[in-house]
Amino acid sequence: MAVRIIVSAADLDGLRRAAVAARGLADDARVEALVLRAGGAVYAPRAADVAEAAAVVGGLADVVVVYDGGEGPPQGDVWAAALAAAAGPAGGETPADAVFLVDAPAAREAAGRAAVALDAAAASMCDAVGLDAGGRLTVERAVYGGVANGTLAIGKSPAVCLFTPAQGEAGDGSSVPVEERGRVEAATPAVEVVGDEPVEKTVDLAGARIVVSVGRGLAAADDVAIVEPLVAALGAELGCSRPIAEDFKWLPKERLVGLTGTSVTADLYLAVGISGQVQHLTGIKGARIVAAVNNDPRAPIVRNADYVVRGDLYKVVPALVAALGGGA
Amino acid sequence: MRIVVCAKHVADSTEIRYDEEKGEIGLRGLPTKISDYERNALEAAVVLKEAGEDVEIDVLMVGGEPQLKTLKEAVAMGADTGYLIEGGWEDPFDPVRSARVLARAVEELEPADLVMCGLVSEDGYNGLTPAALAELLELPLVAPAVELSPSDDALEAVLDLGDVLRTVRAPLPCVVAVDSSMNVPRLPTVLQVMKVKSDRIVKLGLSDLGLSAVALDESVAGVELVGTASGAVQRKGTVIEGAPEECAAALVAGLRDEGVL
Repeated sequence: MAVRIIVSAADLDGLRRAAVAARGLADDARVEALVLRAGGAVYAPRAADVAEAAAVVGGLADVVVVYDGGEGPPQGDVWAAALAAAAGPAGGETPADAVFLVDAPAAREAAGRAAVALDAAAASMCDAVGLDAGGRLTVERAVYGGVANGTLAIGKSPAVCLFTPAQGEAGDGSSVPVEERGRVEAATPAVEVVGDEPVEKTVDLAGARIVVSVGRGLAAADDVAIVEPLVAALGAELGCSRPIAEDFKWLPKERLVGLTGTSVTADLYLAVGISGQVQHLTGIKGARIVAAVNNDPRAPIVRNADYVVRGDLYKVVPALVAALGGGA
Repeated sequence: MRIVVCAKHVADSTEIRYDEEKGEIGLRGLPTKISDYERNALEAAVVLKEAGEDVEIDVLMVGGEPQLKTLKEAVAMGADTGYLIEGGWEDPFDPVRSARVLARAVEELEPADLVMCGLVSEDGYNGLTPAALAELLELPLVAPAVELSPSDDALEAVLDLGDVLRTVRAPLPCVVAVDSSMNVPRLPTVLQVMKVKSDRIVKLGLSDLGLSAVALDESVAGVELVGTASGAVQRKGTVIEGAPEECAAALVAGLRDEGVL
């Protein structure tokens, strides 16, 4: 019997990522892409219209199902209600075997709520999925903050999987049939949106080619200034480790590299005064070259870098600026 | 106002190592603590208590005897009563199961206005328990919250959604997941922890909540860790030592050879 999978996401990249994972699970998988309209717009995924969402999953999904979340502002609980309606027996011939989403605040709410509503099991941080010999869905994910990679077997159906964000290849642009499924409503009291204040995005850690990050090796908040010339000389983006953003709050969270911040894909990642706790290392796995400046030979970053300058960052950083200026 | 904070006892995540030879995650004998993210939730609750009149804070923790010290630490941060749910073992990889145990406990206590959680826990990092809890309790979810202003019948909050700071108003009661950027949690002193008298700790068995471990496992537990592998990326590990200027020149030369400068 074919595996039936519902895919949905907060944005088009995510929708493609979830659909690619679903299509890759089994050749005969039936993949249904869920689109939620709410507040007079396409809410999940954020798209100009349903046609745009359908184009993204061309060749990947068998059908696009569209639910109407009503006039109010969009919410994760309404999205969860749509997922539950789609995955339950009412949405198709058999209940869905899996629901795939991609991590984002509203997607987390939708996943957690849908898992309960469907009496399902849920797994987060999924990098990849497969099927074991017994037909159970398996999930590959980082465990304990990235100490190891784990394989989870999910013994309940549907399995609600929240994937890590990643780029998926584009669909083939072929047309996917669209089915309108009508109105869904959340069972819980609504959260009222009072207002939105856009956050000016000044930082692009995920897309930066060079990232220079600072950690607890810095003695004071003002000392962040000593790496700024290095950041400028390299044309880099400035990042930081967890204590700097979450404990000391010397830099905003948008500069946090690691498990609870951003994962980088840079050509060069330069860790300045960062010991390299596992949550941080998890966020730099995608860097091509990792260099570090550290005075502690036992720091975990030493075993997890390509180049390690052993020394005092307060002396090495200015020397690096001079070396780059002199040779550039 | 009554606030219930769900706090988790975890092994210190900075001390966990993977034993590549045995293929095991070393969790035994490690220092334990309140999960960092739940400390943010506790701090947020204590700040509300300090600012308002007549705010009562209960802490919920799943565990047994080993968790008692951690629960006392949580209470010492400024809560009134700590509830230890004995036998309600929490699998870090099955957030729905955790949420079912916590939801039953929340229902069992005096009605709460706010049920507060960390955005994630420092073991599973799932981030799904607050939403699952909200669904089980049929309450709104306010997450990820960076500011909280409760009134008599509503909670106004600011959420950090990455590209936008959203102000929302939710009716009480509701579930809140606190973003770690909201505050810097206080550290209770050893004396404050010692002063937490045993009458401020209440032990609840699963049977007190109308739950059984067997039934939970059979009907709820759905996620099982079946294998582990090293998560480390192989790196070159070239160490450069010497005077700062020499080191800098050597690193720049090395990076140019790699083609990344």
